[in-house]
Amino acid sequence: MEILTGYVLPCVYAFAACIGFSFLYNVHGFGMVICAVGGALGWLAYLLSAPLVGSDLIQIFVASLVISIYSEVMARIRKCPVTGYLMIALFPLVPGGGIYYAMEYAINGETDLFLSTLLHTLGLAGSLAVGILLVSSAVRLVNGLLRRRADHRAVRGE
Amino acid sequence: MDHDRLLNLTSEIGCRLMECGGEIYRVEESIQRLLQAYGVSTGEVFAIPNCIIVSITLDAGQPLTRIRRVPSHGTDIDLLERYNALCRALCADTPSLPEAQARFEAITRTKRVYSAPAMVGGYFLGAASFTLFFGGTWRDALCSGICGIAMYLCLYFMGRLGTNLFFKTLAAGAVSALLALGFTWSGAGQNSDLIIIGALMLLVPGMIFTSAMRDIMAGDTMSGISKTAEALLIGAAIALGTGAALWLSQLLWR
Repeated sequence: MEILTGYVLPCVYAFAACIGFSFLYNVHGFGMVICAVGGALGWLAYLLSAPLVGSDLIQIFVASLVISIYSEVMARIRKCPVTGYLMIALFPLVPGGGIYYAMEYAINGETDLFLSTLLHTLGLAGSLAVGILLVSSAVRLVNGLLRRRADHRAVRGE
Repeated sequence: MDHDRLLNLTSEIGCRLMECGGEIYRVEESIQRLLQAYGVSTGEVFAIPNCIIVSITLDAGQPLTRIRRVPSHGTDIDLLERYNALCRALCADTPSLPEAQARFEAITRTKRVYSAPAMVGGYFLGAASFTLFFGGTWRDALCSGICGIAMYLCLYFMGRLGTNLFFKTLAAGAVSALLALGFTWSGAGQNSDLIIIGALMLLVPGMIFTSAMRDIMAGDTMSGISKTAEALLIGAAIALGTGAALWLSQLLWR
């Protein structure tokens, strides 16, 4: 029961949300499933890494790593731009709640809470970004190496 | 080789890639590779989010330049995939320019978009699932879905009026927050904050933020900074819109 409410249901919700977002960004057919599985997978990584690291900043980082790697792999398989899968699958990690609560505190005049929530939200966005950056630069590195090796081979072949 | 035609075609493809939400490096590399595939090795491309400059030098030393202003745009993954596939195909088997032009126009003609009911369904599903995701009840999710639909209608009509993204986001945020507060007040919804957050996720600039990060990593710092600024502005618009609605409700019920 605990597994159901704690792990399965949130991932199912993330899956459904990503399906909904696929409509917004005009993703058709099997691409929708790929995006949604990415979203669910990312959230599973977030939940599973919780006992290991114990800080939501690092949890978000781990989840964005998982999603980025997953979407790079999917993009290679389907020979499609990675952007679409990546962006939609990342939506469950986006700190929408942070923006809202920061704004609510600002309106109620609770400056301390407002500032700490705002900084925390920016921190979450930052660690999300670091995860994406790490994977996309690693992929560029590997791609560059592979291309150089292929060029060498072509030259030697002549 | 008709260089004018080649330049027009490549800059047009680049412009379309950008309009569908392609990253800067994708646009620049696609144009560069197309030019090389058609035997022009002197091509120079420079792109920022709303402008593309393509320049080639002819054998006689005469330069040819094309500038495309890219209008403000959204994201269309389906079209992006198809233009990207077209670029790969053109680079691989370089058909004659008229044929390439025809294949390009065929994509533009046969583009797939979701109908309005499907879009409404998407907004409903997105908002409702995010409310559940953040811990709302089923009643909250239903209310949030309706807020999502209201948001879609608001964005659609504001879009037809030609308002900018900042103001559109602000108005949509305010409308959905007011509706959410109304639902909670009437007893239909239980947690107004979760309803509002679920619907807000539809407006959050996650797309722009992600592509900004990818641009920065690819070395296009200028584009990355301008997209980050756009994402922050939209975030501020969301906060302002919902903030205005909350403030109004506090004023009325106090």
